[in-house]
Amino acid sequence: MSTRTTSRLSKWVLGSPLIVFALIFVVYPVYQGIQTGFYSLSLQNPDTLFTGLENFGTVLTDPGFLAAAKFTLLFALAVTAIETVLGFGLALLVNREFPGKKVFFTMLLVPIMVAPALLGVMFRLLLNGDIGLVPEVLRGVGLDVSLFAPNTVVPLLVLLDVLQWTPFAFLIMYAGLQSFPSDVLEAAQVDGAGRLRTLRSIVVPMMKPIIFAALFLRLIDAIRTFDVVYVLTAGGPGTKTTTMSIYIYKTAFESGQFGLAAAASTIVMVVLIPFVPLFVKRIATPGAAE
Amino acid sequence: MTKRRLWGTTVAVGLIAILVNVPWFNTLFVSFKSDGDISRGATAAGTPTTDHYANALGAAGYDFPRFFLNSAMIALGAVLLVLLIAIPSTYSAIRLGFGGRFVMNASSGLRLLPAIFFAVPYFLLMSNLRMLDTVPGLILANTFLNLPLAIILLSAGFRDVPIEVEEAAKVDGANTYRILYSVLMPILAPSLVAVAVLVFIFSWNDYLFALVLSSSNATPITLGAANFVTSTGIRWGDISATAVLSTLPPVIFAVFAQRYLVSGLSAGAVKG
Amino acid sequence: MKAAGLVIALATGLALVGCAPSTGSKAGGSGGEQGSGSGTVKMVLWPGPEGDAMSKVVDAYNAGQGSKDKIKVEMTLLSRQDTFSKEATLMAAKSNQQDIYFVASYNVGQYANSLDPLTSVDASNYFPVAVDGLKYQDKQYALPLDVSNHFLLYRKDLVDTLLGTKSQWPAYQAVAQRAIGERRDPKPAAEWDWNDYTAMAAWFSKTANPSSPTRYGTILQAKNLLYNTMIWDDVLWGSGGSWTTPDGKANLDTPAAAKAVGVYSTIYKNGWTSKDSSQAEFPETQAALKAGTTAFALQRSAGFAELNDKTKSPLVAGKLAIAPVPGQKTHVHALAVALNKYSENKDAATKFLNYLATKDAMSAYAEAGGIPAMPSVLQDKASINPAFPQIAESIDKYGYSVPVFPNTFQAYSKIAESLSGAWVGQQDAGPALKTANAALEKLLG
Repeated sequence: MSTRTTSRLSKWVLGSPLIVFALIFVVYPVYQGIQTGFYSLSLQNPDTLFTGLENFGTVLTDPGFLAAAKFTLLFALAVTAIETVLGFGLALLVNREFPGKKVFFTMLLVPIMVAPALLGVMFRLLLNGDIGLVPEVLRGVGLDVSLFAPNTVVPLLVLLDVLQWTPFAFLIMYAGLQSFPSDVLEAAQVDGAGRLRTLRSIVVPMMKPIIFAALFLRLIDAIRTFDVVYVLTAGGPGTKTTTMSIYIYKTAFESGQFGLAAAASTIVMVVLIPFVPLFVKRIATPGAAE
Repeated sequence: MTKRRLWGTTVAVGLIAILVNVPWFNTLFVSFKSDGDISRGATAAGTPTTDHYANALGAAGYDFPRFFLNSAMIALGAVLLVLLIAIPSTYSAIRLGFGGRFVMNASSGLRLLPAIFFAVPYFLLMSNLRMLDTVPGLILANTFLNLPLAIILLSAGFRDVPIEVEEAAKVDGANTYRILYSVLMPILAPSLVAVAVLVFIFSWNDYLFALVLSSSNATPITLGAANFVTSTGIRWGDISATAVLSTLPPVIFAVFAQRYLVSGLSAGAVKG
Repeated sequence: MKAAGLVIALATGLALVGCAPSTGSKAGGSGGEQGSGSGTVKMVLWPGPEGDAMSKVVDAYNAGQGSKDKIKVEMTLLSRQDTFSKEATLMAAKSNQQDIYFVASYNVGQYANSLDPLTSVDASNYFPVAVDGLKYQDKQYALPLDVSNHFLLYRKDLVDTLLGTKSQWPAYQAVAQRAIGERRDPKPAAEWDWNDYTAMAAWFSKTANPSSPTRYGTILQAKNLLYNTMIWDDVLWGSGGSWTTPDGKANLDTPAAAKAVGVYSTIYKNGWTSKDSSQAEFPETQAALKAGTTAFALQRSAGFAELNDKTKSPLVAGKLAIAPVPGQKTHVHALAVALNKYSENKDAATKFLNYLATKDAMSAYAEAGGIPAMPSVLQDKASINPAFPQIAESIDKYGYSVPVFPNTFQAYSKIAESLSGAWVGQQDAGPALKTANAALEKLLG
């Protein structure tokens, strides 16, 4: 029984760093941010007035917001699905000893090491129709395509996101595979279970929390997609590639409407939060593992 | 036959590694081309030049050594602080019932908010704390940005460890703290290292918070590189050299971390 | 024990990192005592010619007049895109961190509430259009630094060849007939109207003229970007349109505006510009001209120097020339410096601003690579940049400025958003202009 008391105390001792940090660096800014949504804070008006739900109404009736929400959702789902599948496949492929593993492993991580803000600029050069490598190579093989044409720009952005972030999903799932007891896998193979069956009946079920963690992290980050898209298209042509973050960025920094931007952010959070527990349940159930 | 299959893996992984790095290799190539050669087209190669590297190291008149140092301190500081907070509290949440699922739900929910949402609040907060334009201020901001990631990943990790491992340690008389640090942390080493690598990378690459919170003393390299995006165009060569250089520290960090990630030795040893 | 060791290591590391560099921990950072008229003055600027030039002026000031006045000016440089984002954040937080903000004609109205009007500054040496563009509600809110206007940058060698080779004229007329529905002779660039621009774009494109020396006639800066609205505005003004009616009502739903959108969409849809134009802005335009794949483009005046530099543009240096924008209308805006209303060191900042308003300071600025908004300095310093006299002339003769109202900046952004789809034929001009007009009407208030 003494373990119970210890654990009751240690629960708080171990949790205390998070509590302290959260009180100062999370609660205050989140409160401040959400509160801004209820005020008419803008650069154009010197007076900051309480406007209640007005900002929320304005945002929700703005066709631009709804278009951005739709594009963001479709884009995020597409890239998350592709990256999780490719990342998992890659993790399985790399999860064995082979010559050159260390070098290639590091190389696989390089795309996430380039700052997204810089990567956007790099893509702009790489894909430039006049001085970029990709169009020149494509022309060399007889393909005269314009990558940024309105009908190819969305697939292009998806492809670039996949190139950039599959390594992230890969790293998480690979680390998961590494923590996974290899003897189970070996035992299964000794039993004569086929590769595919081992995968389906042993690896995937055991990896579920990790797979969900990778998928979930990619999804919430993809919903906030900003840098590369902003640098390449600034949300255009028209509003075709405007993500939620671009919409909010422009609302705050180009329109100077900080109240509206805060309201839009809050709406995004409130709409998506009900889905969070569905994922969290699969990633981390408190208490004993099953 | 086994051998041939392994070489097959090498080829397959190698091709993928090259494919995902086409942008980076192009950047490397461009960083050695003169401005004139860049304008001649992608495959034009004249005499290689190191001018862009000189510029990226300070010849352009910006204090790049300082920017690199700031980035390093910010990223390392954020890694340490994130682990210091996330490891005990996530364990507490998963195994001891601290905060229940709320901790995970809340931190995931936070990560859903666009970073811009926090621009003004964080500016005010750091202003009140007198931490604007300081490295500690940016360490705290990046800790805030990356805690959700660490908590989510570590949750999955802690949950994966069979409870029997802990029970065995308890029978041996270990208390909770002892179990966490000398039993669970070694088992989870690959996940901890993965978290450290990711937090390092994300803190190293942070842009928006650096933009809002720094002005000259704490400017990191990402923001310093933006000096090459000018009102008369982008200095492709200079920004490419900066991008190449700025990728090196995370790569070095990852190479050091790789021992834990690639071999899986530490994990295997404990589990066996 | 391993655990304890790890904790200690983490904590020590953190303490080290935490303590090492905490240099500038003055919250506001504004240095100097409030209003003492001396101390540190902090100023935001963007990198490039303006920032480089200003840093030389600042160095000279700190060493000379500044040290006499006990004023030290410190500059913070941010990228072109981020400068205004950062300033907007500082303004929303009513920060005193920076004393002098970098602003422009297009956002001075939006920022005016966070600025102090300048009352003691002598503005008589400047272009009137630049000074007026920085006035808001009859008060001067900022001091012009640089002027920016647009030019037609064109391959003089190619156009001259066409003009001098009469045998090619019938073919040109045929291309013109298809492009603009009218047989025309080629004209020198200075005489083009928007139809000539369109016909020339076709002539110099391989799709319309397989023997064209360039792949494309022109490149349109059609990305959804507020700066691109400024360039399209030239087409609008040059076609007889403008943002507003004389009594200040939104005026974008007009035949002139439809014609201006049509210039872009005709060129884009017919492939007389690369399809990539839909995501092009300043750097892409520079690249297209530098690579020699494009015959001409509208570009900001600041772009010319680099294109005429043999080391930076070996393929085209010396072959490009400047002409007024077709339709003879060029957007003019001033980049400027302004006083933060929440600054705690206004006296010192004002002293420095007064110094910047002198011809001496602006001559130094021109020598260091800036394009000062003082006509007399531009004339005197023609030896530094051969484009200076043309800039002065162009601004004087063809310059127009967009009305300043609190939401100007937002209006540029909304117009780009509403029209960028139509520029590249993704949407019909009619509905797009209706959307743009409604947005503008709302923003005019």
